[in-house]
Amino acid sequence: MSRRVLAAAAAVVLAVVPFYADTSLLQMGLFVCAATIGAIGLNLLSGVAGQLSLGHAFFLAVGAYGYVALAGTDDRAGLGLPTWLAALLAPALAGLAGLAFSPISSRLRGLYLGVATLALVYIGQHVLYSATGLTGGYDGRPTPPLSLFGLKFGDDSGITVLNVPLGQYELLWYLGVALAVLAWWFARGVVAGRPGRGLQAVRDGEVPAAAMGVAVRRAKTSAFVLSSVYAGVAGVLYALIVGRVVPDSFGLTMSIDYLAMVVLGGMGVVGGSAVGAAIVTGLPLLLGRYVDALPLLAEPGSGGVDPSSFARYLYGALVIVLMIFEPDGLAAVARRVRALLPAPPAVRTSPSTSPHPRGGRP
Amino acid sequence: MTGALAVEDVALSFAGVTALDGVSFRVEPSTVHAVIGPNGAGKTSTFNVICGVYTPDRGGVTLGGNRLTGLPPHRIARLGIGRAFQNIALSGRQTVLENILLGRHVLTRAGVIASGLRLPAARREAREGRAKAAEIAELVGMAPLLDRPAGGLSYGDKKRLELARALAMEPSVLLLDEPVAGMNDEETARTAGVIRDVRDRTGVSVLLIEHDMSLVMDVSDRVTVLDFGRLVADGTPAEVRRHPEVLRAYLGGALGDDPGGEPGDTAGGEGRDHDHHQEDK
Repeated sequence: MSRRVLAAAAAVVLAVVPFYADTSLLQMGLFVCAATIGAIGLNLLSGVAGQLSLGHAFFLAVGAYGYVALAGTDDRAGLGLPTWLAALLAPALAGLAGLAFSPISSRLRGLYLGVATLALVYIGQHVLYSATGLTGGYDGRPTPPLSLFGLKFGDDSGITVLNVPLGQYELLWYLGVALAVLAWWFARGVVAGRPGRGLQAVRDGEVPAAAMGVAVRRAKTSAFVLSSVYAGVAGVLYALIVGRVVPDSFGLTMSIDYLAMVVLGGMGVVGGSAVGAAIVTGLPLLLGRYVDALPLLAEPGSGGVDPSSFARYLYGALVIVLMIFEPDGLAAVARRVRALLPAPPAVRTSPSTSPHPRGGRP
Repeated sequence: MTGALAVEDVALSFAGVTALDGVSFRVEPSTVHAVIGPNGAGKTSTFNVICGVYTPDRGGVTLGGNRLTGLPPHRIARLGIGRAFQNIALSGRQTVLENILLGRHVLTRAGVIASGLRLPAARREAREGRAKAAEIAELVGMAPLLDRPAGGLSYGDKKRLELARALAMEPSVLLLDEPVAGMNDEETARTAGVIRDVRDRTGVSVLLIEHDMSLVMDVSDRVTVLDFGRLVADGTPAEVRRHPEVLRAYLGGALGDDPGGEPGDTAGGEGRDHDHHQEDK
């Protein structure tokens, strides 16, 4: 019951945000939404299924550039599809890219898989820089604004609610939040269901998983494809937020940022990825916004420690501290805190909480 | 009923070291069949050949006339071979319930989309699965532990969970690798009861590796004795107990005098360490 109240309150807060937040805050929130979707996708692959991937940025790039090219009407190669259709097809394209890579990825594991996926990032970025006819090269390509059911996600949407004109970022905010919630809900279902159990079994040991009837290679492939689709959705949203996609964004740094989100939030815990995304993506932007008010920080380029570097130090330190004291991430920290709080009555009556004799029995 | 599990002339070697040398035996439906032998005799290797983890150099395994050898392990599992591992192979972060549900993987169908969207079929399947898992937990005496993470269980409870998970597969042949290792007398008796119950009520055949001789002689309909990868004896418990070769090779005469004797206990401890590397690499 209280969960429903909480969810409703959260929904109200998220719904009114565009009426109070300015554009840069909204943009920051949107980046967090996109990162949340991408991080959940990587968590399904690396946290739940235990397959290390450094190639996440590649699949985000497929999503982002896929959307731009499928919907593109500028002078570069483009199909000029309706933007809503392009937004649906681009994640599918990313999924296909994941599937195409799966003959390799399903045969490798651990560090070897990490290195193989690393190659994807290098190849991907090389293509983005050099296939100028498709990607626009170094300068990238502008993102066609999304229209959905006749609703244009631009500042000329013509929608005004309570005297607040709903422009590009206001509308995208609702889309981004909705997509992030959907991504979370879907992933929770997968993880708690039969496929999730299979993936976790693969992570915990391929031989026992196979003995339980889990088709290991197939399970790995499905994890890779699903994770790529998530990355594709994140890529489309990212492209819509930034307005122009450039190759520089989709480098190894992005892949590592996503890994940091997953590790910070908690490997295998879907909700943790949202927290990780908020920290890794939101922190530098937030620090940048209040750079004048914060001591020790300097404007970028002025010689001091700029906000984004500082944010990196901060979350780098956080990762190290967590790895030492709580390798299961912030989700495990939250679990500990909850265990310390007084337990609500009525829930704690089942016999499962009675102390069970461990060892040393008569 | 799928028919007998037949191990036929199986030979297996690792880099020139012979692990199994022409081993043949049959596990008849609705029987408990024990495989005993000293450490390194090839018991767990036999299991790994049956499950498709190892491909034998010669010979093979059939179930009800269908050849299992050559199929990938997950297909063999789907054909009705359920296995409880000797060294615990549970998902430690998952709860007891979720571990048992993993056993039902072969019996269920829900895929990524059905589970992600919580389609009615997937929800029904999940509901049925939970009810079945609770039944199995009740059977092995783990009902109060369903929501505990498996990693935090005692050793004996982990062994019981291994058994429960294999039972959840509703196999036609159940492979149990030292199911009572590390258990006290009470837990051992309970597991023995479960094994008998499974055979009598569900008609499943049980293939059992065990060092606890009192359990073996108590529950088995048939006993196969291996030593250095070769079949030494195969017969009823009474026949095996009298077999001179068995007494010499394995039991040192102890068994003839004392069915609940000591060799089981010491061998059990060493067996765990010894066979460990064969399992998951």
